[in-house]
Amino acid sequence: MAEIKKLVLGRKVVEDLDEDQELPHELMTVNMGPSHPAMHGTVRIVLTVDGERVVESDVQPGFLHRCFEKESEYATYTQIFPYTDRLNYISPMINNVGYAMAVEKLLGLTDAVPVRAQYIRVIVSEISRITDHLTCVGASAMELGAFTPFLYFLKAREWLFELLEELSGARLTYSYVRIGGVVSDLTPDFNQRLTDLLDKIDGVMLEVEGLLNNNRIFRDRMEGVGPFSAAEALSFGLTGPCLRACGVDYDVRKDNPYLVYDRLEFDVPVGTAGDCFDRYLVRLEEMRQSIRMLRQAMRDIPAGPVIVDDPRVALPPKKEAYNTIEAMIRHFKHIVDGIRVPPGEAYAWCEGGNGELGFFVVADGTGRPWKCYCRSPSLINTQTVSKTIQGHLISDVVPIFGMINMIGGECDK
Amino acid sequence: MARNVLDALTAKFGGAILETSSAYGDDVAVVKRESLLDVAGFLKSDPAMAFDLPCYCTCVDYLGMEMLTVSPTTPLAVPSIPSALPPEAPRYAMVYELRSIKHRHRVRLKVPLHDNDLKLPTLSGLWAAFNWLERETYDMYGVAFEGHPDLRRIFMYDEFIGHPLRKDYPKERRQPLVRREWTDE
Amino acid sequence: MSDPNQTTQTPAAPATVTLTIDGKQVTVPKGTNVIEAAKKLGIEVSAFCYHPGLSVVAVCRQCLVKVEGQPKLQPSCQAIATDGMVVHTADDWSRGARRQMLEFTLVNHPVDCPICDKAGECTLQQLYFEHDNEASRLDVPKVRKPKVVDLGPHIVLDAERCILCTRCIRVCDEVAGQHQLEMKNRGDHEEIATAPGAELDNPYAINTVDVCPVGALTAKDFRFTMRAWELMTTPSVCPGCATGCNIEIHHKNERVWRLVPRHNPEVNGHWMCDEGRFTYHRLRTRRMVAPTINGLPARWDEALGHAARLMAAAIQHNRDSVGIVFSPQHTNEDNWALARLAREMWGVGRFYVGGKGPVPERADKILRDADINPNRRGVKQVLGDLTLAGAQVLGEDLAQGEIKALLVLGHDLELGPEPMERAAMLDALVVIADSEAGIAARARVALPSAAWAEVAGTMTNRQGLVQRLHPAFAPPGQALPAWEIITRLGQAAGSALGYGHVRQVFDEMVGKVGELQGQAARWGRETRPIQLRFANSRG
Repeated sequence: MAEIKKLVLGRKVVEDLDEDQELPHELMTVNMGPSHPAMHGTVRIVLTVDGERVVESDVQPGFLHRCFEKESEYATYTQIFPYTDRLNYISPMINNVGYAMAVEKLLGLTDAVPVRAQYIRVIVSEISRITDHLTCVGASAMELGAFTPFLYFLKAREWLFELLEELSGARLTYSYVRIGGVVSDLTPDFNQRLTDLLDKIDGVMLEVEGLLNNNRIFRDRMEGVGPFSAAEALSFGLTGPCLRACGVDYDVRKDNPYLVYDRLEFDVPVGTAGDCFDRYLVRLEEMRQSIRMLRQAMRDIPAGPVIVDDPRVALPPKKEAYNTIEAMIRHFKHIVDGIRVPPGEAYAWCEGGNGELGFFVVADGTGRPWKCYCRSPSLINTQTVSKTIQGHLISDVVPIFGMINMIGGECDK
Repeated sequence: MARNVLDALTAKFGGAILETSSAYGDDVAVVKRESLLDVAGFLKSDPAMAFDLPCYCTCVDYLGMEMLTVSPTTPLAVPSIPSALPPEAPRYAMVYELRSIKHRHRVRLKVPLHDNDLKLPTLSGLWAAFNWLERETYDMYGVAFEGHPDLRRIFMYDEFIGHPLRKDYPKERRQPLVRREWTDE
Repeated sequence: MSDPNQTTQTPAAPATVTLTIDGKQVTVPKGTNVIEAAKKLGIEVSAFCYHPGLSVVAVCRQCLVKVEGQPKLQPSCQAIATDGMVVHTADDWSRGARRQMLEFTLVNHPVDCPICDKAGECTLQQLYFEHDNEASRLDVPKVRKPKVVDLGPHIVLDAERCILCTRCIRVCDEVAGQHQLEMKNRGDHEEIATAPGAELDNPYAINTVDVCPVGALTAKDFRFTMRAWELMTTPSVCPGCATGCNIEIHHKNERVWRLVPRHNPEVNGHWMCDEGRFTYHRLRTRRMVAPTINGLPARWDEALGHAARLMAAAIQHNRDSVGIVFSPQHTNEDNWALARLAREMWGVGRFYVGGKGPVPERADKILRDADINPNRRGVKQVLGDLTLAGAQVLGEDLAQGEIKALLVLGHDLELGPEPMERAAMLDALVVIADSEAGIAARARVALPSAAWAEVAGTMTNRQGLVQRLHPAFAPPGQALPAWEIITRLGQAAGSALGYGHVRQVFDEMVGKVGELQGQAARWGRETRPIQLRFANSRG
């Protein structure tokens, strides 16, 4: 026994040891990320740990900063849609919609967007929300060691991506929304395919819940980890599932209904403790509510145009643009000059996958915005990580960070 | 909803509120920098205001906000070289947006700032979210927040020179990450 | 009846009229047409054939507005504003007329935008988008006309795109004074054609491309090279001759694509000559990009040190054998810095002026000047009352062996072959130039300078107006502005001129040169990069 003790404690002499005394220790600074399997989308956390326990941490975002705002100042309003796609790249439709809403506010077109287009926007937003939550829950489960839910959820996500690929042409970077509507109508069998998919996703969710909800390991690692009080959460600007898990029922879709959310019936799930497990449950329930909304929207969607009828905002149909000079000129001016937005400043916000996603657009009368600021929920939510992981073990950093759902593209813009 | 936020602000602070507007459904109050802390504190603590959720904060740089004037009789755009803003107009405006969960209302505050005087007190003591948001504004625009506990760059690397979102920072400029030795010529 | 012996007179009646346009009142000088009066209020009445620098013909009927009291719509370019006139430009009748005119204009217009040079800066595009935006009602084939007509050495006509506004005809008649273009045929078969026996070769021909509202007339020099909306624009002054027409440099990616005139009522009005437009080709031919010693590239410090040593040796040996050649192709600031270095620091007084020789055939009463150097007057101002000896005298002095060292600014020095040989044999021949042609090729030490489009500075035109040049992009390679080279040369020679910024040079010059006193405001304001856009956009 004495030999073992000598080996373990290095050069200390066995006689100096007193088993009641604390082991000598010192603080260690450890780097987590930016290239780290658990640091989704490159974030660096500089941890100061005492053994396994985190004493202090410095969360450093910015490794994926791609100058969204600076580029927006040099691009026409329509050219910014691909940039918004790449903000929260797991739920790009919601970014598109939020940005379009901000510009439409400045143009005064919020009510002029055709109802069918509004329904389509809601449908694709909710599909994007489902993909966002599928990814978040799946990836977090995988990081805790549960690989199966990850694969199941990503398979479900694949089905949705395929559906949206049929619709818009891309799996992830759709640029499907336009100022004044959407770029094209739903595919003819969209309704049928989506309904089938929703049934399948329901089944997948049941399976995964069965694997995780009462799983001893999962619950031990998630319950009680990183609790947040409602007051603190509000002070930190937390929004989205993380805030709702703390007990505050703030959801933009209910609070300030936009598009056709006021015509849809849905509930807003709210947690109690604000810990990781509550966030997980809130996200699962939100997926269910999204499915519920999608079913209603597919049932109620009216026929009609999918983009506003204003020639200064909408491109002409291609057949006309190639054959008549009038439509050709109109097309040209749209592309070269951009949509001329009268000078003003407006902020429009929507419920993103992670919280309140808003765009503050300053227009100067030309076809390019003067400033296009994205209020990214990931950045503001990530600020809480430093506070939350204090006092927890290093292994708790993983579920806490996972459940914040920091999407690198949105956090760093 | 409690009585109008803008009315309450003008009633309480009078001249410190330079102007108010409600365009596009947004309530905006332009506040003097010296009264910013008082206004923010009032908005947070007053029970009729109860702004508990900070939304965002950013800065707008108005340098050169002019429009090319073109008439159909001149074939080419004639750039107007002088800025449309008079030289004493503030170049920057700091924008804060606050929200109240309790009363479900929101307000936007704008604080005009001048070029060589780009500083104002931090609001991170009132709402913790502004810690990182003000760091972002400092990084991108160079606004110095007095009293900020940790004012350093958040997106750009530490050796970066300049503030990229300012209008006079060219988009194409490249900076090396590693400083090179200057060769003497 | 005023007493002719009285020196004071009753004030003359005001020569202004006040009219109301769209409910707003405006006061304009008598004789102003309604379209200009509306412009003063910020109201743009659409127009094709009207141009402020050309006569009014009112052929396009695009500017029709409603004038109260008149039974029909009036063309606002032709209607002269009278006191108490009430004009409506935005009522249904005027707007309907505008839309109808645009529809008529577009009836036979080819769907050429993707291949048309004017796209992006086309008045037809802009007016259609601003005022019309209706779909086409045409269901018959359009009229076909020849699409590539060679009108002259510089211009190509696409007759289908022409909207028959006759601006080009008026430019040739009124600006150039030569009747070279006419309309032929009638109705919707009308085309622009050259006058019998003539071709479009007057020296102001490319102005027709500027005024053409569509892409019917295109310059061979520019067509198919660059899209208009991708260009950046920088204001500057043409270096072609002493007139100093104000221009815009249209450039992209550190390369100039064309020069266009900028409106200046004192100097060039709305126009410039064709030769001036082509001066940008010089910016890319035979540029010096690195300092050289004896023809081999060297570092800046080496070259400056060598040049300083050569000059110092020559000055020490005999101050009067050192010649300084100034350049009327370079800015005032360059010449001033050189003058200060030579006079104050080195104490030499043998001054010459280089530059290209005069071309008397060029001189016309319109814009072109016989002196094809932009800044001769500026050099005169900078040097004050000193005699300006030219290249001829320099040649003679070289022949007589009076010169042992030469510091030359600019490569445009017209020496005959013999004097050039002698100059090349000098021990100390230092040339500061932007091109390695001419004397720069023979120099002992050649220092590369920035060309006219890459410097901030001023030049004085033949009228004595000090005009500001703005830099479009950075000089190529290791070239530096000439004033900076001169400052460094002085430093290397041990005398500090102390200029850190070209503005310092200008301010000092304005303070010390008599003719330039009080002209400090001519420096103007700095520009920021502006991308060429049309219709209320900016880059």
